[in-house]
Amino acid sequence: MPLSLRHQLRSLASRVPSRNYAAVSSSPSQTNPYTVGPYQVFDRNAKRLQRDRAVARDGGDRSRTVDYIRDEIAERMMERFMDIKRSFNTVLDLGSGPGHFSKLLESDKAKKTVMLEMSGKTLHREPDSEFEGTSSGIQRVSNLNGQDIVQVERIQGDEENLLQHIERESQEAVLSCLSLHWVNDLPGVLVQIRESLKPDGLFLGAMFGGDTLFELRTSLQLAEAEREGGLSPHVSPMTDTRDISNLLGRAGFTLLTVDTDEVKVGYPSMWELMEDLQDMGESNAVIGRRARISPDTLAAASAIYKELHGNEDGSIPATFQVIYMIGWKPADSQPKPLERGSGKVNLKEVL
Amino acid sequence: MSATGAASKPARPIARLAYHSTVTCAAQASVYGKCITASYLDVSKDMCSAEFAKFKACLRESMKKRQ
Repeated sequence: MPLSLRHQLRSLASRVPSRNYAAVSSSPSQTNPYTVGPYQVFDRNAKRLQRDRAVARDGGDRSRTVDYIRDEIAERMMERFMDIKRSFNTVLDLGSGPGHFSKLLESDKAKKTVMLEMSGKTLHREPDSEFEGTSSGIQRVSNLNGQDIVQVERIQGDEENLLQHIERESQEAVLSCLSLHWVNDLPGVLVQIRESLKPDGLFLGAMFGGDTLFELRTSLQLAEAEREGGLSPHVSPMTDTRDISNLLGRAGFTLLTVDTDEVKVGYPSMWELMEDLQDMGESNAVIGRRARISPDTLAAASAIYKELHGNEDGSIPATFQVIYMIGWKPADSQPKPLERGSGKVNLKEVL
Repeated sequence: MSATGAASKPARPIARLAYHSTVTCAAQASVYGKCITASYLDVSKDMCSAEFAKFKACLRESMKKRQ
């Protein structure tokens, strides 16, 4: 029986087309758009599967080829991290992916990194040897006197339920490089991050937001409107830059720093962009997305993309806008503004 | 286009569509794109259906041929 079953499965598998641009819907029961709260925008289960599949393609080679954008942002985030004049025993890399940011850590800045990622295959894509001098996880480190080695610990878990994996008031620093744009309840996750931090703990994050992929968004919208007479979500709703500092403040962080950065990447056409996004595990995961997009609409979108946004040399640009945020958990040791009216110097005399 | 046929062909259908829509039928695609861009602030269904029909005819013709 197992043999015939396997045969059936295989013949079934061969009938499935080798790829889909639109992700297969795989909503678990809790992501029913009619029964969930206001914050349910993304299908987290679908996102986990997309990431697993992206890393499984060609033994991870496809996924490594499209590391360019995450590696670039990780380096820019590392610059901000190095500006913080403090060294840490343990940092939590929230939504680490295969460890784009953790890979860059140096042992004089952080002795150990804990990577927390929802997709198991993504989390374990890189062997421990890829990380700064580490040979094989925690056991081996003690043999090597552990001085110039960044230890790596990996936890597979959903960053939306951070406090299920991490204890309250346990972290010196929480770092998140390009994962928060798939989080449903961003205010809630920021509160959980603050809760997981020790007093005076650091949160440093980078997330896609603002105008990210607006060219793709508008091209698909125009194509759908003209071809089919309607709209459906193909590119995620993005967090506005201006909202981030409000959200950080609301979550109880102090001494906020928020800045934005833009990376423009050129592609030969819309098709390469979409293929790369898929290999990054960044396919559409909005709840209520269409399971399939017609070839007509795709061809139309490709033509519109090129005419509306295309570069002079025939390539097309894709914008990635990144929001960097720094916040600290309040502590008594932090500098605070003086009491109102306590100034001794009359500004009239100074100016 | 049967599924088994698609699996055994070297280039996947979507890759062929990508190629033909950007290379083989680039001229028709450009005409269609210009039609949309001319009034993209007020798009209605089938606004450029004549241009798209030519684009699609070209696509259909080139998708038929085996590379």
